[in-house]
Amino acid sequence: MSAKKVRVKDIGKRGDEVLCPIGPEDLVPLPPPYDNPEDEPAWKELGAATQEKVVCNLDGVVALSLPKPKDKAEEEEYVEKFRAGLKKLLEKNNNWTFLQPLLLSLDYCVNCQSCNDACPVFTASGGKEIYRPTYRAEVLRRLVAKYVKPGGKLFSRFTHGDIDLNWTTISRLYELSYRCTLCRRCAQACPIGLDNGLISRELRKLFSQELGWAAKELHEKGTVLQLEVGSSTGMNQVVVKDNIEFIDEDMADETGIQVETPWDKEGADVLLIHNAGEILAWPENPGAFAIILDAAGIDWTLSSAEVAYDGVNYGLFYDDVQLSRVAVKHSEAAKKLKVNKIVAGECGHQHKAMLTVSDRVLTGELAVKRESCLTLLEEIVFSGKIEFDPSKNDFPVTLHDPCNIVRNLGIVEPQRRILRYLCPQFREMTPHGVDNYCCGGGSGFAVMSPNNFPDWRLSVGGRVKLKQILDAFADQPGPEVPKYLCAPCSNCKGQLRDLLQYYDVLEKSNITYGGLVELIVNAMVDVKEPFIKWEMH
Amino acid sequence: MFGSTLLIVVSWALLAVFVVAFILRTIRIARLPVHLRWELAPVPHEKGKSHYGGSYLEEFEWWTKPREKDSIKEASYMLQEILLLKSVWENNRRLWWFSFPFHTGMYVLIGAGALLLLSNGLEVVGVQTAGGWQGGISIFAGAGFALGGIGALGLLVSRFVDPRFRDYTTPAALFNLILLLAIFVTGGYVVAASQNLAGSVWDFGTGLVTGDLSVELSGVLQAHVLLALVFLAYLPFTRMMHFVAKYFTYHQVRWDDEPLVAGGRLEQEANRLLEQPVTWGAPHVNANGSKNWVDVATEEMKT
Repeated sequence: MSAKKVRVKDIGKRGDEVLCPIGPEDLVPLPPPYDNPEDEPAWKELGAATQEKVVCNLDGVVALSLPKPKDKAEEEEYVEKFRAGLKKLLEKNNNWTFLQPLLLSLDYCVNCQSCNDACPVFTASGGKEIYRPTYRAEVLRRLVAKYVKPGGKLFSRFTHGDIDLNWTTISRLYELSYRCTLCRRCAQACPIGLDNGLISRELRKLFSQELGWAAKELHEKGTVLQLEVGSSTGMNQVVVKDNIEFIDEDMADETGIQVETPWDKEGADVLLIHNAGEILAWPENPGAFAIILDAAGIDWTLSSAEVAYDGVNYGLFYDDVQLSRVAVKHSEAAKKLKVNKIVAGECGHQHKAMLTVSDRVLTGELAVKRESCLTLLEEIVFSGKIEFDPSKNDFPVTLHDPCNIVRNLGIVEPQRRILRYLCPQFREMTPHGVDNYCCGGGSGFAVMSPNNFPDWRLSVGGRVKLKQILDAFADQPGPEVPKYLCAPCSNCKGQLRDLLQYYDVLEKSNITYGGLVELIVNAMVDVKEPFIKWEMH
Repeated sequence: MFGSTLLIVVSWALLAVFVVAFILRTIRIARLPVHLRWELAPVPHEKGKSHYGGSYLEEFEWWTKPREKDSIKEASYMLQEILLLKSVWENNRRLWWFSFPFHTGMYVLIGAGALLLLSNGLEVVGVQTAGGWQGGISIFAGAGFALGGIGALGLLVSRFVDPRFRDYTTPAALFNLILLLAIFVTGGYVVAASQNLAGSVWDFGTGLVTGDLSVELSGVLQAHVLLALVFLAYLPFTRMMHFVAKYFTYHQVRWDDEPLVAGGRLEQEANRLLEQPVTWGAPHVNANGSKNWVDVATEEMKT
C-alpha cells in the first residue's frame, strides 16, 4: 500500500499493512550543517512484541500503544462504542462545549486545500497524505455522513465519498488524531474559517469520553494523576513544598538574593500557578519568578491545595470533562485563598485552558480573575522597581512563540517589549508572532515518548521549528558564539530540549534554551553572577 | 420546452424551497448553543492591536481596562476575504486564479440583479430608466457569466488535474461545478446572442409576481432560468452554503473573545448548558445519565 497513493477510504482497508509508512528518508532537508541525510538520527525499530501486541498500522509509528483486540467480538464492541460516540459528538447535551465550531468545520469544507502548506507536520513529512490537514477531517466527515446523518448509506457516496466503519478505521484514526499538534495554523489559513485542528481534538475527545482511550501520558499519568495526587508530576503537597524550599536555597546560593516562596497566603494579590514540571525539570524558572516578584514587591503566593500547585491541564488536549475538573480545582483554590487574581506561569496550554477555554465553565464564585505572567512581568520590568543592565544579556537571543499563548490568545507583544529592552541582540524568527510554527511538542506531544514516537515528534513534528531556529541565528551559525532560544512555555521547552539534543545543536551551533524570567534575572543589576548556564539541561 | 403555467408553478416551487431551506439552515447554525471560547488570532476588532494579532489579554489586569472594538477593521477584514479571497491568495495562489473569477462572476450577477431591481423600481416611481439601463445591465451580467464560466471551468479542470483535489472531489462537488458552469454558459449565450437578457428576466419576474401566464422565454433563456432556479433550490442543502457559515465561523468562533461577566447573558447561558445531562460512556466520566456537567466537573476524583 505504501507505493500507492493513499486515499481517504483506505483508512479502513487492509489492516494488516502499514497505511502510509514514514521514515527519516522522507523528510525535507534541514539547513547546513544538519543537511547530510546520513547524519539524520536513525529511528528506533519497533520490537516484535510491540508489533504483535499493539496497533502500529497507520504510519509505522506508535504513540498510543493501543492493544490489538482479542477477537472479532471485541473489535465489534469497540466499533459500536465509536458509533455511539460519533452520535454524542453531535448532541447538544453531550457536546455543547464545541458543537457549533465542530458542525461548522464538518459541514462546510469545500476541500480547497488552502490549509495544506500551513501545517508544519505535512510540510516536514514531504507531503505524506495522511498528515494533510484535511485527511483526518475528511475521514470524520465521511463517517458522520454515512453513519449518523439520515439517509447516509444512500447519499453519502454522492455527497461525501466512500468510507467503511470498522476496527481498522477506528484504530488508525485514533493513532492519527495524535499526529496533529493542534497548533491551528491550518485554521488561520482556511478562507471559510474552519478548523481541522479542532477536528483532531474532537476525535481525541470521542475516543476518550466514550471508549476510554487516551494517551497514557495525558490521561493516566496526566489528568487522572493530577486529580488523584495533586500534580501530573506525581508530587504531593509535601514533596512540592520540599522542592520549592530547595529551589529557594539554590537561588540564594546562586544569586546572593534571599527568597522564601510564600505558601497559602490568604488575601494575596497574586496566586501564581506554575506548570509543576518546571519545579522538577527547570527549577531555575520558578526560582527566577520568586526573585522577580520579591524584588518588585508583589504580594504573591503559591497554593498547596491539591491540583492548585500544578497549572497543567491536559484535558485541553483530549477531554472536556477532565479539562473542566482541573479548571474547577484551580479556581476553587484561588477562591479559598481570597486572592485578587490567578497568574499563569510560563506554560502555554495552561494559559489557554485557564484564560479562555475554561472561561464559560467557571461561573458564579469560580469566576476568579486570571491573567498571563507575561503581562505581569512586563508591568514589573517597566515599573522601575528593578534595576537592569541589558549588557548582561548581550548575546544573540530569539523567541519561540508558544501557539497557545500567541496564536490562540493573542498575547504577542509583552514578551517582545521585554526582550527588546533587555536583550540587545534580540532577533525574530521567520515567521513569528501569530504566524509562528509549533515546536512540535504541542497538544501534549512534549510529554509523550513511547516506542518510536519520539523520533516522529522530533524529526517530523519539530523539523520546521528547528529550521526556523537555525535560520534565526544564520549570521552566527557556529559554536563560537553562545545563543539563547527563549521559550516561555514549559511543554515547548521540553520539546525544544529534546529537539536540540536529538540533533546535537548545543555542540554544533551552541544554542541553548530557557524561559523569559531567566533572561530577566540575568539582566538584574543585583544579581552579580550570570544566571544563565550555557549548558543543555 | 415548458408551458408558461408549468414554468411559473415550477419557478415558485423552486423559489419557495430556496427561501425556506435557506432560512431554516441559517437558523439552525445560529441557534447552536454557546460554546467554550476558541478564538484565534488575529482578531481584527482588537483596537490598535489587530495589525500584529494582539488581544486585550495583553493588558495588565485586562478586566480593569475598557475594551475598545474596531468595527471598521473587522469590516475591512471581511470585505477583503469576501471580495478578494485574501486567504486563498495568500495560501493557495494556484486556486485563486480560478476561484477569484468564479466568485467575482457571481457577485457581478448579484449586482446585475440589484441594478435590474433598481432601474425598474425607478420606472415604477416615474423615472424613465429601463430602456437605457437594460442594455448595460445585460452586458454587465455578461461579464459576470464570462468570469464565472472561466472560474467554474478552471475549478472543474483543477479537480481532475491537481493531485491535491483528486481524492477529495466528490460526485456532488463535480455536479455543483457543472451545474454552475451550465448556468454561466447559457446566460453568456443569451447575452452573446444579443437577446435582451435583462428585459426578459424582468418580464419573467413580473410574470411570476402577477401570475401573468403569457410570459414566454426563448429555449436557451428558459433553460438558463430553470437551471438558475434549480441551483437556488439546491444550494441550501450543499456545502456551497459556506458563504453563510463563514459569518458564524468568523464572528462566533474565531473572533468570539467575549469574557464571562458575573450575572451577564453569557453566564446565564453557560449555567443553563452546564445543567445538561451527560451520557458519555467512558468509566472516568462517571456519568449515569442523570448527572449533569456541574455534577461531573465538580465531583471528587480521589479514590
